[in-house]
Amino acid sequence: MSAEVRKLVERFLPDFPIVHCGEIYTDTSGFMNISYGDVIALDGLHYLVFRDEAERRFGMEDPKYWVKRCQTLETGERRILKLVFHESFPMKIGPFVIRCHRSAEKEGRILDLVKNDRRFMQGLPLKDEKGNLVRVLELIRGKRLDEVVDAIPTDHRTYFHEFFPKILEKFIGSCQAVAFLHSHGEKHGDIRRDHLWVESGTDAYRWIDFDYAFDFYENPFGLDLFGLGNILLFLVGKGHHTSQRMRELGFGEDVFNALPPEDFSLMFQYRLVNLRKLYPYIPEELNRVLMHFSAGANVFYETVDELLEELSPCLDLVSRP
Amino acid sequence: MGWVMDFKKILVAVDASENSARALAYVAEMVGGSKGFRVELLHITRLPDKDLFQDEKSWDEQRLKQEQKAQEFLKEARAVLESKGVDPGAVSERGFCIMGHSIAENILEIQEEGGFGTVVVGRRGMSKAEEFLFGSVSSKIVQYAKHCAVWVVA
Repeated sequence: MSAEVRKLVERFLPDFPIVHCGEIYTDTSGFMNISYGDVIALDGLHYLVFRDEAERRFGMEDPKYWVKRCQTLETGERRILKLVFHESFPMKIGPFVIRCHRSAEKEGRILDLVKNDRRFMQGLPLKDEKGNLVRVLELIRGKRLDEVVDAIPTDHRTYFHEFFPKILEKFIGSCQAVAFLHSHGEKHGDIRRDHLWVESGTDAYRWIDFDYAFDFYENPFGLDLFGLGNILLFLVGKGHHTSQRMRELGFGEDVFNALPPEDFSLMFQYRLVNLRKLYPYIPEELNRVLMHFSAGANVFYETVDELLEELSPCLDLVSRP
Repeated sequence: MGWVMDFKKILVAVDASENSARALAYVAEMVGGSKGFRVELLHITRLPDKDLFQDEKSWDEQRLKQEQKAQEFLKEARAVLESKGVDPGAVSERGFCIMGHSIAENILEIQEEGGFGTVVVGRRGMSKAEEFLFGSVSSKIVQYAKHCAVWVVA
């Protein structure tokens, strides 16, 4: 137990059990050693570590040892500290396996770029004494957008007419946020439905987690566009439509068997894109936007602006009573 | 017509891939032994994003390796053309490195600046899904090329 940590905790957080006070870290290189009760000192402030962050995906918990849930001792504010982890790993996207790199520098640049832009998570990139770029992030209190949509307790028709117009309006704003990144030569890199959060109180949609870097340059925004298309498909359909889900929703085998391969996702062959075939009240124009992400598409969006040019007019169509 | 297409001035975009080798062999067969053609071999190395490296030093090491590979490849590519009777004086080579930019856009910039009437590029044969995610140099060149002929060797 570090005497300095003990003094800090006694002064700023007297309710914290002293017996759990750990060490003070000014070099965060060995993030596996930093745990509950330790303090990370950065730029004049001290962050008490409560636990490692964990991501919940596909029903399993995936610990992120380089991400620490903390409290700023001097101010009492909760923060998430992302430490440097130069990880390079294969990522499966549809049928492809792509090399993905975790980049603190990229996320730090984007945090600076989007400072005070509430369409994105906010934070400060700060270097520790060894030059590791730690990202000190503000917490977003709220829920993932996909969880919010899943929780709407209505059938699809009611959802589409009463809830979707507002959701689409905000999602268009989220697409504009991504376009902003692209216009500054940056890419989000990990656009997926659990990286778009709905903030409690404001209901603002906010992007999180921009530390993934890839090496695609002939179509530099392709991965982000693919992510936006996937989220849009989820929002229009109030969930994804695979054969199993279609059966659960009460669609017969005859419906499913009449759907050709071209009606399914370019990347995920079991995910239906041509939703108008299930829900005929989806405007043709909106369905056409979705179909640009289908296996039957011959022309793809190359930029978010192209996507928005066709998606934005759909807002009027879905908002009509 | 406000412009004249010098179709005998050929820009061949090459890398170390098989499809590029096919494109090179095709040009050699078409042009070898004929007069009046000028061929520029263009090798563009796209340097990886610095975000993909732990530090500047490891990125720099990778850059040097790629530049050296490009120089070796251009020499071999020249040899292929000369072996088919292309006049050595009619062949030039250009290799350079770019960062964070589309190779197809670079090729088209060079085509326009140099007044090349023919651009030759190999095609790997990507699926639609691959093309959507990764982009295709040959598709982009076909889509955006102006005032020139494009030979895509598949």
